[in-house]
Amino acid sequence: MIRKEINRISEVGKALISVEGNPGVALNHVVELLEAGTNQSLSFAKAINITEDSTRFQVFNGTQGLSTQTKIRMHEVPLTAGFSYNMLGRSFDGIGDVADGGPEIIFDKYVSTRLDTLNPTVRLVPKQPLWTGIPMIDVFNTLVKSQKIPIFAGPTEPYNRLLSQIAQGAQADVIIFAGIGLKFDEYHYFKEQLSQSGNIDKTIMFTHLAGDSQIKGLMLPDVALSVSREFADQGKDVLVLLTDMTNWSNILRNVANYQDQIPSLQGYPGSLYSELAKRYEVAADIEGAGSITIIGATTLESLEDPVPDNTGYITEGQFFLDNGKLKLARSLSRLKQQVNDTTRDDHRPIMTAMASLLADAEKAYEAAEVGAANDTFSQKLLRYREDFIANMEEPFGEPIELEAALDKCWDILKRHFEPTETGLSKKLIEQYWN
Amino acid sequence: MNNNTTRTGKLISIQDSLVKARFYGNAIMGETANVIVDGKSLQAEVLQIIPDPKNSDAGIVEMQVFEDLTGAQIGDQVEFTGKSLSVLLGPGLLTSIWDGLQNPLYKLGEQNAYLVPGMKAPALDEEKLWEFTPSVAVGDKVNGGDAIGTVPEGRLTHSILVPFNFGKCKVESIIEKSEVNITETVAVISDSQNTKHELKLAFRWAVKSPIPFKDRAIPSKTISTGVRVIDLLAPVSYGGTVGNPGPFGAGKTVLQHSLCKYALADIIIMAACGERAGEAVEVFKDFAELEDPSTGDSLMNRMCIFGNTSSMPVAAREASVFIALTVGEYYRYQGYNVVLLADSTSRWAQALRERSGRQGDIPGPEAFPMDIPDQIKGMYQRAGADQGTGGSLTFIGTVSPAGGNFQEPVTQATMDATGSFWGLSQDRADAKKYPAIDPLSYTSSVYDSFISWDDRNKMLQTLYEANGIDQTISTIGLKKVPVEKYVLYQKGLTIDFCVMQQNAFHKLDACTRPERLIVINEAVQKLIDSTINFAQDDKEDEEVKEMVKAKFDELRQWWKDWNLSAQSIDEMAVLPKKVEQFIFQEEYTL
Repeated sequence: MIRKEINRISEVGKALISVEGNPGVALNHVVELLEAGTNQSLSFAKAINITEDSTRFQVFNGTQGLSTQTKIRMHEVPLTAGFSYNMLGRSFDGIGDVADGGPEIIFDKYVSTRLDTLNPTVRLVPKQPLWTGIPMIDVFNTLVKSQKIPIFAGPTEPYNRLLSQIAQGAQADVIIFAGIGLKFDEYHYFKEQLSQSGNIDKTIMFTHLAGDSQIKGLMLPDVALSVSREFADQGKDVLVLLTDMTNWSNILRNVANYQDQIPSLQGYPGSLYSELAKRYEVAADIEGAGSITIIGATTLESLEDPVPDNTGYITEGQFFLDNGKLKLARSLSRLKQQVNDTTRDDHRPIMTAMASLLADAEKAYEAAEVGAANDTFSQKLLRYREDFIANMEEPFGEPIELEAALDKCWDILKRHFEPTETGLSKKLIEQYWN
Repeated sequence: MNNNTTRTGKLISIQDSLVKARFYGNAIMGETANVIVDGKSLQAEVLQIIPDPKNSDAGIVEMQVFEDLTGAQIGDQVEFTGKSLSVLLGPGLLTSIWDGLQNPLYKLGEQNAYLVPGMKAPALDEEKLWEFTPSVAVGDKVNGGDAIGTVPEGRLTHSILVPFNFGKCKVESIIEKSEVNITETVAVISDSQNTKHELKLAFRWAVKSPIPFKDRAIPSKTISTGVRVIDLLAPVSYGGTVGNPGPFGAGKTVLQHSLCKYALADIIIMAACGERAGEAVEVFKDFAELEDPSTGDSLMNRMCIFGNTSSMPVAAREASVFIALTVGEYYRYQGYNVVLLADSTSRWAQALRERSGRQGDIPGPEAFPMDIPDQIKGMYQRAGADQGTGGSLTFIGTVSPAGGNFQEPVTQATMDATGSFWGLSQDRADAKKYPAIDPLSYTSSVYDSFISWDDRNKMLQTLYEANGIDQTISTIGLKKVPVEKYVLYQKGLTIDFCVMQQNAFHKLDACTRPERLIVINEAVQKLIDSTINFAQDDKEDEEVKEMVKAKFDELRQWWKDWNLSAQSIDEMAVLPKKVEQFIFQEEYTL
């Protein structure tokens, strides 16, 4: 098939190029850039803005070295992602090309990367817990199959270690690793961890390293999620690890700025919420098919930053990592109510009671800083707080089963309080206090 | 306008969901159009009409397209409809679940598990038969809004109305009592020009034209929502408006779900606007199995849901709220009490922001359009009570302020536009206090409560004072606080812990009705009004405080158990007695 070609690029910017006139390309369709003379393929690009006077493209491999004479060849299809079971155990880049130096893959099929919305009526209400062996998650913020939940953490926190710990114990058929803007050592770390835990054969890695072409990073979640979706449509339970979505949002911001879009907050485009939601909403438990669970990482300086703020409104809770501890106060699993009433009868009440006491303890802690926590109960609260942080908020260590974790909760309460001080009902106190 | 030839145009610019098309002849502001992409017809709306700099015979329309435009090309055909965006009103609205443009999701699900651009299905079931009973006869005079008959819809009587824009008309013919579907003509009426109009069970109405009131009234009857802090301190009346802002994780969703389940109303409409799909799914899948508190039917029988969830096309978000409002107004006109929950109006405002940004408008604060406060006010104004029909439309909008900052434009405009305001606090949410509505800040209401204004103020005053003492304790320590102040602080804590907070997932505690509120209020007022005779003997102040705390801890535990267990009138009546005994520090065994 002879494809239509254009011979003149009128504008080359950062990540974007334009041609004059309208070569007949359709929105979001892919073109190939070829070196003039040799016809060597330089990159693919996607049409993002079309008028009768000019057409603008996002260039996947970056624009360095492109000349005004670079040829553009039409492909007349939107970007698709290759799909095959042979992808398991392999690494790919942001547009789904092999990136581990291994042999090319013969794909079974190509899937759309448009991420159409799943019809809500075919979603199942999530009801299956995913146990992690981490008490702060299992007891206080139970994770549920098909949940979408990020880890919020400062850039220096061990969020990737936590992500990988959760992935290792995960009850999933397929793990899709989607890394955007990673440092090489982070990529290497994940690969090592997944190999050591014996999960590498059910894992597909899509990786974009810091410094790689921005557009490839921008496309990566769509490619990784489209492949995930195909596995789920075929009945698999898929776990997607998205790290780090702040990097992705920053690429989105850069590209929006190259396109002269009016920024809303801190330079991010007004569409940041919708763009993040489009990706996270792929998580679903699908009637008559499999499921997709998404655990992300969002690095932040402050919770009020636009990326964590918008993410919090989209995802079904968040795990908040601070000083290496999984903090109870700002962590939340919105789906926990779906599963924590069928565990042990003290599960919900003790969760609420301990949280409420911890909130009081935080107040006492602040008071103590100005020397105002001098009464007996405040002293109890302070000791409780220390105990809680050391024994409950520690995410790393030997996995603990739920029942043992609940017993541990009672032990902590008993160490510090009288039964009436806990706010727990008489019935539960009688049952579990001694 | 000539209706025989379709007016068309051709695309000349495509950017995300915003397109421009060149047309010759006529174009109408606000009309809808279909953009034909790869043979699929995508719905669009005209936003602006401008001259064509290249061609003085032509004009250019700027349009937003409600579906994904992948594959669209310059030159693609645009077909104008001459009609503005509208909603189909008629029997079968209840129990339905639509996308933001009134496409029924279950029907679309039969075509594909994914929502693919260009998919369509009739908004209301066209096959279903309804038992129509006429209420007018040939020769009768009818006006717009008058009923010509009724059909039963679930347990409601659904009036079949003459469209509201009709003037004086005469009934030319009407069918006998019979079973008909919504596509069949049930009556013919003629207007003053003697033009004949066929009436069916359903008709279309433009969503941006509010359905009129018969006789608008001030909202005056308090709604029992089942949430204590709301019904006591920040109530809303039938026909009222509420803004409900909160940072993420503060419990907006749980509160919305609780209102869906327990608020006493004939009809609940949920506009899931730009929020998580899973939450809407939970409502229509799990709530179908729950009982309607006033009828015992399935809860879904009193609901309908418009779901433009967060990954659906942004352009349809604005439409989804207006469609939901119009359906609410329609049922209000029929005399029903309707509660509309819009979650979240911030996503609606953001959709306007995205659009105005693409159109190149000069941005206002935080890049929102300059006129966003007026648009928000206009939206809330469509709620209201109608003493002419006896119906009402209550609008409860959640707000998702960026960074949890209530100073941002949408929250501020909402505070200005609404009669009741439920501010959710991050601190209370962090302490896992539900609901996290903070009675002391950003919470207010102009509506009457189930208790007197005096009692309401006293309760608030106690909470204020207790909060002040709490601050003192945290800054200078408990030692410096006198015993009587400490007792007041403990009273405040008790009201907060036992009354303001409740367990949304406990079958009894999740919902408190007015008769129970009255009992609770009696107990609370006793506690506030009385000095408590703690035996001080010769104890040091510090010892007394410890004893006071222990006594109050005990009372609170008892009260919390009462919340979870007292059901009968006798069991309920124990609470004020218990508090009385507590005040006199008698030994009690209740």
